[in-house]
Amino acid sequence: MALRFEVLGRFNRARAAQLTLPHFACQTPLFMPVGTQGTIKGLTTDQLEEIGCQIILGNTYHLALRPTSELIDELGGLHKFMNWPRALLTDSGGFQMVSLLHLADITEKGVTFQSPVDGKPMLLTPEESIQIQNRIGADIIMALDDVVRTTITGPRIEEAMYRTLRWVDRCIAAHKRPHEQNLFGIVQGGLDPVLRDICVRGLVDRNLPGYAIGGLAGGEDKDSFWRVVAQCTAALPEDKPRYVMGVGYPLDIVVCSALGADMYDCVYPTRTARFGTALVPEGVLKLKHNAMVNDTRPIDPTCACMVCKNYTRAYIHCLVTKDAMGSQLLSYHNLYYMLQLSRNLHSSIVEGRFPEFVCDFLQKMFPKGDVPEWVCNAMDVAGIDISSCCSS
Amino acid sequence: MALRFEVLGRFNRARAAQLTLPHFACQTPLFMPVGTQGTIKGLTTDQLEEIGCQIILGNTYHLALRPTSELIDELGGLHKFMNWPRALLTDSGGFQMVSLLHLADITEKGVTFQSPVDGKPMLLTPEESIQIQNRIGADIIMALDDVVRTTITGPRIEEAMYRTLRWVDRCIAAHKRPHEQNLFGIVQGGLDPVLRDICVRGLVDRNLPGYAIGGLAGGEDKDSFWRVVAQCTAALPEDKPRYVMGVGYPLDIVVCSALGADMYDCVYPTRTARFGTALVPEGVLKLKHNAMVNDTRPIDPTCACMVCKNYTRAYIHCLVTKDAMGSQLLSYHNLYYMLQLSRNLHSSIVEGRFVCDFLQKMFPKGDVPEWVCNAMDVAGIDISSCCSS
Repeated sequence: MALRFEVLGRFNRARAAQLTLPHFACQTPLFMPVGTQGTIKGLTTDQLEEIGCQIILGNTYHLALRPTSELIDELGGLHKFMNWPRALLTDSGGFQMVSLLHLADITEKGVTFQSPVDGKPMLLTPEESIQIQNRIGADIIMALDDVVRTTITGPRIEEAMYRTLRWVDRCIAAHKRPHEQNLFGIVQGGLDPVLRDICVRGLVDRNLPGYAIGGLAGGEDKDSFWRVVAQCTAALPEDKPRYVMGVGYPLDIVVCSALGADMYDCVYPTRTARFGTALVPEGVLKLKHNAMVNDTRPIDPTCACMVCKNYTRAYIHCLVTKDAMGSQLLSYHNLYYMLQLSRNLHSSIVEGRFPEFVCDFLQKMFPKGDVPEWVCNAMDVAGIDISSCCSS
Repeated sequence: MALRFEVLGRFNRARAAQLTLPHFACQTPLFMPVGTQGTIKGLTTDQLEEIGCQIILGNTYHLALRPTSELIDELGGLHKFMNWPRALLTDSGGFQMVSLLHLADITEKGVTFQSPVDGKPMLLTPEESIQIQNRIGADIIMALDDVVRTTITGPRIEEAMYRTLRWVDRCIAAHKRPHEQNLFGIVQGGLDPVLRDICVRGLVDRNLPGYAIGGLAGGEDKDSFWRVVAQCTAALPEDKPRYVMGVGYPLDIVVCSALGADMYDCVYPTRTARFGTALVPEGVLKLKHNAMVNDTRPIDPTCACMVCKNYTRAYIHCLVTKDAMGSQLLSYHNLYYMLQLSRNLHSSIVEGRFVCDFLQKMFPKGDVPEWVCNAMDVAGIDISSCCSS
C-alpha cells in the first residue's frame, strides 16, 4: 500500500477525505481529467496546476502503443515525461482494447487483439498490463478486468465477473512496485446485485489499497446505474477510496458522492468542449448557437476561471465556429468547472452543509423543480432531503 | 498621427526605437505574430503577454467575413473582443483577397471577388477597407494597395504601383479616426528600383505616420529581396517606422534590421510549429524526426521559455506525431523565440555584436549565404569573423 486515506467529514454516506498518494495529497471527492496520450488536449501542465487539478488519468493502451512503456520508463516514468508533478492514475488498457478494436477477443489468458500499428495479433495479459503500468509509474494502477457493457445480458456477465477475480490475483502477483504504486481492483458483475456482491466480497478479501466500480457509464439506464453504485459503496470498506470509472456528468458525480463514492474520471468535459459546449450551473451552454454571436457575458458569470474572467461568449462563439482555439478555451473552462465542483463537494461535506450544496446545485440545474426521478430516488437512499428543489 | 517614434540607439542603418501606440509602447525592431481570426492559434492572451508579445496582426479579410467588422465594432472593437490589451495592427484585406480567392479581379474601383460565403460578387474598395478597419479599431491600419507578386514582370507592376498611390489618397480621405489609428502606406513597385523610388517619394509626400514595404516575401530570390529593402529603407524618412510585410525567417529579420527596418509579421513561426518544426539558434529542429524519440534535452537549452523549461524533445516528439497539443507547445516556443530575437535586436543594436553571434550559431561552418554577406556589406556590419570565405 502506498496511500493514506483519511476521512475528514461526512454526511450520511457521503465523505470528504484526504487521499495521500506518493506524488500528491488529494482531497476527495475528486474528478480526474483524462490525459489520454500523456497530455490533456489543449492545456499545459502549468494551466492544469492553475485550475487545481490533483490527479490525471493516463490511458495505458495509448501510451503503450506510443511512445511505449519501455521508453517512458527509460525516460524516468510518465510524471517526468509529461512534466506533471502531481498524481497520476493509469487504467489497465483493457477497456480501450475492447471498445476500440475490432477482433478483440477475451480468453482466460487475456485480451487478444489486432495491433492497430501493424495488424499482427497481440495479447494483453494481466501480467503484461501490470508490467506496462509498473514502467509508466503512476501513483494508482488498475487491475486488468474482464469488462462487459451493462447493456449486455446473459452468462457472459457472470463469466466476466469471476474472471475479473481470477485476473486480479494474477495482477497482484505480477505487481513489482507495491510500495510506490497502488493497485486498485475493479468491481464487475453488470447490473446483477448478486454478481456485484460476490465480486465486492472477493476483492475486499484481497485487501487492496482501493476499489473501483467498473462496467458502468456505458449506456445503462440511470435507475440501474445509481443502484449499482449504491450497492457497491455500501459494501466496500469505509477506509479505502472508491472510484466510479467513466463518470461523468456533473449531476452523476453529485449523486455518486452522496452515495459514498470518492473518485471519478471522464472524457466528457474536454470532449464536449471540442464540440463547442461549455459546462455551466444550469447544465450546458452551446457556444456555436447563433444566440451567442453578440452575447457579451462570460460563459458563466459565477465562474472565477481565466476564460470567464477574460473572454466573452461572443468571442468564443466566433472561435468555435472557426478555430481550434475555441475548444482550447472551453476545455480550460470545463475542467475548471469540474474541479471546482470537486472542491465544492469536498468543502461542503467537511463544513457540514452538504445537503444545502446539493439542493443549490439541483435548483440551478432544474429551476422548474423537474429533478429526474432517478436522482430523487438516489438522494432518498443517500438520506438527503431535496424536497425543497423538487416540484413533485 | 497617433503614434510617437523615438530612436534610442543606432548602428549604421540599424536602429532601436520606442514606438508608442495608443494601446502600447513597443520596442523595435519587433516581430508581430499573426492572429488571423482574432486569435493566435494555440495561445491564450495571458500566454502572449507572458512571452512579451507587443503587437499582433489581425487579418481584416477573415474578420470582416466572420464575425464581421460591424459586430466587432458593436462589441467595442477588436481589442476588447479578443481580450488583448496591447497593440494591434490590421492589414487592408487586399492580400488575402488576391491570394486566397479565385476570380478576384482588380480594377480602379477596387478588388472584386466572389464571396466565399455565398458566391456572390463583392467589391472591396479603398474606402470600404478603411471603414472596416476603422470599425475593428486597431492601432495601425494599412492602406489598400494593389499588390502584385514579385515573380511577375511587365507593365502590370507599374500599373499597380501608380494605382497604389491613387488608392492611398482614397484611403486617407476615408479614414475617420486619424487621432486613434495610424494609417500606413505600402511601397509597391516590384523589383524595379525606378518604380520603387517613385512610390516611396509619392508616399512620403503624403506624410503618413508610417510606411510598409510590400510585395516582397512572395518567392523572389533573396538577392533581389534585400536590395529592395535596402533601397526603400534608405529613402524612407528616418523618424517614422518601417514595416517589411510578410517577413519572416529569423535570418531575414536580422538582415532587414541591419538595413534599417523596424517591424515584421509572418505566419511562419506558428505555421511551422503545426508541422512539428521548432525554431532554434542553429536553424530548425524537426520534432517529428525519429532521432527525437528519446532525446531528453529541451528544444533549445539556451531558451528560457515555459516549454523549454518544462518539456523534453522526447515528449514533444510523442505529441507532434499524435496530438494537437504538440503544435500548441511548439507555437508557444516559436513565438517566444521570435520575440526574444526582437528583444535581442533592440538591446544589442548599439553594440553591433549580435549579428555575428546569430550568424555563427546558424552557420557554424562559416557558410553564410552570399546574399547575407552582400546585405551586411551595405549595412556596414563586419561579419568577416563568422564567414569562412
